[in-house]
Amino acid sequence: MELSINGAKILMTLENVPIFGTIHITQTLVVSWLVMLIITGLCFWLGRGLKVTGISRKQAVAEMVVTSLVNFVRGNMGTEYDHYIPLVGTIFITSIVSNLISLLGIWSPTADLMTELAWALVVFVLITYHKIKASGFGGYMKGFLDPIFVMAPINVLSELFTPISMACRHFGNILSGTVINALIYAALTTASYGLFHALGANIWVAVAVAVLGGVLIFLGKQKGKKFPLILGIIVAILGVLALLSNLGGIFESFPWLTVGIPAIPSLYFDWFGGCIQAFIFCTLTTLFIKQAAGE
Amino acid sequence: MESLYQSLVAVEPVTLIAQICNLFLQMFLFKKLLYDKVIAILDKRREAADEQITAAQSAREEALSIKATYEQNMQQAKIQADDILSRANKTASARSEEIIGQAKQEASRIKQKAASDIALEKKKAINDAKDEISGISMAIAEKVVERQLNDSDQQKLVEQFIDQLGESL
Repeated sequence: MELSINGAKILMTLENVPIFGTIHITQTLVVSWLVMLIITGLCFWLGRGLKVTGISRKQAVAEMVVTSLVNFVRGNMGTEYDHYIPLVGTIFITSIVSNLISLLGIWSPTADLMTELAWALVVFVLITYHKIKASGFGGYMKGFLDPIFVMAPINVLSELFTPISMACRHFGNILSGTVINALIYAALTTASYGLFHALGANIWVAVAVAVLGGVLIFLGKQKGKKFPLILGIIVAILGVLALLSNLGGIFESFPWLTVGIPAIPSLYFDWFGGCIQAFIFCTLTTLFIKQAAGE
Repeated sequence: MESLYQSLVAVEPVTLIAQICNLFLQMFLFKKLLYDKVIAILDKRREAADEQITAAQSAREEALSIKATYEQNMQQAKIQADDILSRANKTASARSEEIIGQAKQEASRIKQKAASDIALEKKKAINDAKDEISGISMAIAEKVVERQLNDSDQQKLVEQFIDQLGESL
């Protein structure tokens, strides 16, 4: 089987657009809009019919979300940066939804470096703004000559690499999840064909495997032991599937092993990685801005 | 048609710009639709709670001042009651002394009167007795004269009689 790992699919190409030239409408953009629709819909639904007393469960959730967001930003930056709460919250929610949307088999917009780079550039502008505000333009420029003027190129690079490293950290984690998921799918598909071709080649082999599974289930139940029972269930399912693939058609061509098993690595790569990267990106955003303003 | 893919790490300025715009649009929507509303509700709730706390505090202060006034009034009332009671006691004792004094005076007056009456009566009785005695004496004298008593007999008789009279008195 051939496996190719690509970037976002180009859905549409607009030629000769003024100023921009050729525009590729990629999956990234379309799914971003989908993500925005989902978030906006969620915000609209949560923000409707808010009351001061006698609140509904929905409002409790909305208040909890906003309160924990406010606490997060205030915990990292203090109370004087409250106007950045919506930005941090938006990056966080967009990142989470974008990362987790890959669970539905949809292209994750955060698997495109441009998405994270866009966020990181906004953060970079804010960092620079706060640095200039804190020490004046002269002071900001002078900061590059610290500790001696020869360090200036390195200082400029370190300044520029702040957004790039932020973007690449997030992008790399999501991309690695996507790549590993693709690899696991491919591997399991191949394994599935191999296994069921072997088992289903002879109908008697399939029947024997199914019967063996049944016997193991029976023994496990009688002795009350869990290990033979689970093993028996697995073997019996394999046997039945082998019988089915012996019948041919859709049963033969369907990669059975890709059902359920990829969910286990996905727990880490999609769920954990997706959530933790959103959190890290927002933590860095708040800390960098705070640091820039504090200097 | 064969699908076209971007390379895995592609630099697309248009996507970049679009994503920046998306971020700001999303931020605006999030702020307007959820964040501002929830913050407004939370602020309102905090204000309401503050209001209630202030109201409770002022009510407590009011109650305390009422209590203080009440206690003060009670104190005054007690003092007044004590005053009235002691005055009443004084009046009562003065009055009782006065009454007793009057009664004593009256009693001594009555006693004096009775004594003077008794003395008067006694005098009168003595006078009466004297009159009687002299009358009786006269009668006796007459009788004695009739019986021709000698002087010594008569004298003896009168003395005897007077003695007897003195004993009976």
